[in-house]
Amino acid sequence: MSELPPIPRPEQLPLPPAGGPRKIILPPHRERARRPWRIRAREWVNRNLFPSLTGTILTLVSAGFLGVLFIGVVWFVFFDANWNVITANRWLLFAGSFPREEAWRLWTSIALVMFLIGLAYGTWSSLGRRDSLFIVLTGGFVIFLMAHGDATIWSSIWFLAAIGFLYFGYYLTVWMPRETSPRRVLQQRVVGGLLAISLPLVLVILMVAGGANTRQFDGFVLNLILAPVGIVGGLVVAIPLALGRASNMKTIKWTCTAYIEVVRGAPLLGWLFVALFILDDIMGGDLIIRTMVVLAVFTGAYMAEYIRGGLQALPRGQYEAAQAVGLNKLQSMQLIILPQALRISIPPIVGQAIAIWKDTTLVTVILTLRELKGNADSAIAQSEFIPDRIEAYVFVAVVFWVVAFMMSRVSQRVERAQGIGER
Amino acid sequence: MSAQAQHSGDVPLFYRRGFRNVLQQAIYVAATAIVAWYVYTSLDLRDFGFGFLSEPAGFAVGSQWLTEVDGVTSSRLEIYLVGVWASLRAVMVAILLSTVVGVFIGVARLSSNFLLSKMATLFVEIFRNTPLLVQVVLWYAVLLVGAPVIQDVVNVGDFFFLSNRGIAIPWPVPSGGLWGVPDWFVGVWVLVLIAAALVAMRVRASRQEIERETGQPHYPNRWAFSIFAGAALISFLLLGVVVSIDRPILDGTQYAEGMVIKPEFAALVLGLTAYTGAFIAEIVRGSIQALPRGQTEAANAIGLSGYQRLTLIILPQALRQMIPSVTNQYLNVNKNSSLAYAVLYDDLFRVATVIQNKAGHALEMFFVIIVTYMIISFAISAVMNVFNARVTANRL
Repeated sequence: MSELPPIPRPEQLPLPPAGGPRKIILPPHRERARRPWRIRAREWVNRNLFPSLTGTILTLVSAGFLGVLFIGVVWFVFFDANWNVITANRWLLFAGSFPREEAWRLWTSIALVMFLIGLAYGTWSSLGRRDSLFIVLTGGFVIFLMAHGDATIWSSIWFLAAIGFLYFGYYLTVWMPRETSPRRVLQQRVVGGLLAISLPLVLVILMVAGGANTRQFDGFVLNLILAPVGIVGGLVVAIPLALGRASNMKTIKWTCTAYIEVVRGAPLLGWLFVALFILDDIMGGDLIIRTMVVLAVFTGAYMAEYIRGGLQALPRGQYEAAQAVGLNKLQSMQLIILPQALRISIPPIVGQAIAIWKDTTLVTVILTLRELKGNADSAIAQSEFIPDRIEAYVFVAVVFWVVAFMMSRVSQRVERAQGIGER
Repeated sequence: MSAQAQHSGDVPLFYRRGFRNVLQQAIYVAATAIVAWYVYTSLDLRDFGFGFLSEPAGFAVGSQWLTEVDGVTSSRLEIYLVGVWASLRAVMVAILLSTVVGVFIGVARLSSNFLLSKMATLFVEIFRNTPLLVQVVLWYAVLLVGAPVIQDVVNVGDFFFLSNRGIAIPWPVPSGGLWGVPDWFVGVWVLVLIAAALVAMRVRASRQEIERETGQPHYPNRWAFSIFAGAALISFLLLGVVVSIDRPILDGTQYAEGMVIKPEFAALVLGLTAYTGAFIAEIVRGSIQALPRGQTEAANAIGLSGYQRLTLIILPQALRQMIPSVTNQYLNVNKNSSLAYAVLYDDLFRVATVIQNKAGHALEMFFVIIVTYMIISFAISAVMNVFNARVTANRL
């Protein structure tokens, strides 16, 4: 029997030619991504802009439309519009009849709120490059408005200081490691507590010791006061309502349902009508206080529905588990049910908060309160600015848009951080 | 004696569940009653009653269409109903337009065309995050300041007029026709049209059924359209051309004849349409994205075109999911139509506040307002529920 050929050992296999390029095969999408950017750009354009004849036509039509729109906007903003109506009335728009010599109270409040926002960002999130760009642009816009013309240089300095406070608060908290530790818990508690008392604190700063009275809240300041009152008050009203509607006691369930449905049945203007004519008999008080009550009552009914949705979305097992570990009703609500239900209902609640922010404009319509839009009406009632209605309203729209857009972005970030919708 | 009773016998009365339940509810009812009693006693109810609604109104409203109610002789109730009709017109037009805009923008946001989807995103972000009130007054300002004054009115072939007094368009009106029939014959014609539409829908359904069974084309849409158009034309001629087209005329500084869309109405409808359209676009996008990707891939695999894929596969399935949210938006349109107040369009809310201004009775007027809004909301929900039932009925 002849000898079998020897089995080749691994090290005896022929080596790849020395010095030649070593070919690494990547998955197709990585291979495509490695090509030069020119080719990738051309491919992107081909796929996204000119995929077919209809696609090309669509692109051309859209491009034409966008071009016309862009030229129109640029022409309006830089050549056609007369922005004097804004710059000449900026204090009117900003704070209206708020006494000017008490302006430091406003600026202190704004700096405080900015500081708290910075603290909150540093504690739970982080300022990305986009956020900073947005803040800088918004700040530039505000300062451009304020520093135009006479004696308002101080306002822009104040505003710069407020932005400085935002970053100060941010860097004060952001260095803390995010792992749970006693210090981290303390930090979260302190910042949360500060946020919780910020609204009364601001009202105190504005009103205490010879400050403004409630009738002097005016202009954009009024929007900035009414919206948080509506949101916070709404939440306070909404949680018991939602629990009541989900309750199995008939009387509680029915009255809460009736409340929610009746409030949701009429438009906000109708309820402000109530604040103006009917609530006066029931609770008296200043019109602005009545308006705040109505805003809270109105928002509460909508938020209650969203929280009820969160309660219903919780698996039955959560209730049973809470019972099984021996918690009583109050404890299980407070520790197990509500935290989860509120977490589920964050997105619609923020949506409602944005809605109430936009709806603060409605107090101008039938009430005698003058917020930003109402003061824009006063601005264009002056004889020299009568032709500048569009400019005034565009300005108001942009201001509201900026804040609403910021709120929606923050809500998206909270959703992502909480992992809502990912379970 | 049952086990339950034996068990509860051991527990002190105060800790029994049933007793607790009754006690808590009793406390709650008592507290609610106290609040209600306080509210009731603090209201000024000395001349509570709805009799003031039948007194003469004493003011005129613009924004009338198909109604001729003057403020002097008619009662407050009649003039309020004119306001309700004005609201209904705005709401119906806005619902229709915002649905079209919303579906279009929502689909465009998901387009693979970069420019188109970015444009749709821009639309949504702008109109969703701006107060509706500001949008409405801004449209109004654009229509008043931006449009030419009536002296240099834009005249399109004596057919359309555009100025800051509004847009005048031709409009069909009842006429004596060929055989000099009375005006109410136009009603007969409308009834004939409705009957023809019903017949056409039946024919369409039956032909669709045949198509499904045999697999051969039986052209249901063409048949339905031909039946309706033929019936409309023949009845139109048989009844003696009961409708004539009324072309607008410029009479000095006013429009006469034709149909005039006033800037107030246009501003309200434009604002409601853009605002609600942005929200509906988000709903449409969400429900399309919630569909499994396999649906798109399956449609591609059987060789449907983009348009067919959208209208035959994607939208019908997304429809089921979006109807509840869209209904909610329609209810919002109804409530938001009260913003007509800001542009002086005489809708129900504005007319009601004027009545309250003249006659007092704020509480009664508020009851009337809220009941009207609830009735309209209920009607919208009812229609949408019927639609929803039809859409979800033929689920596969």
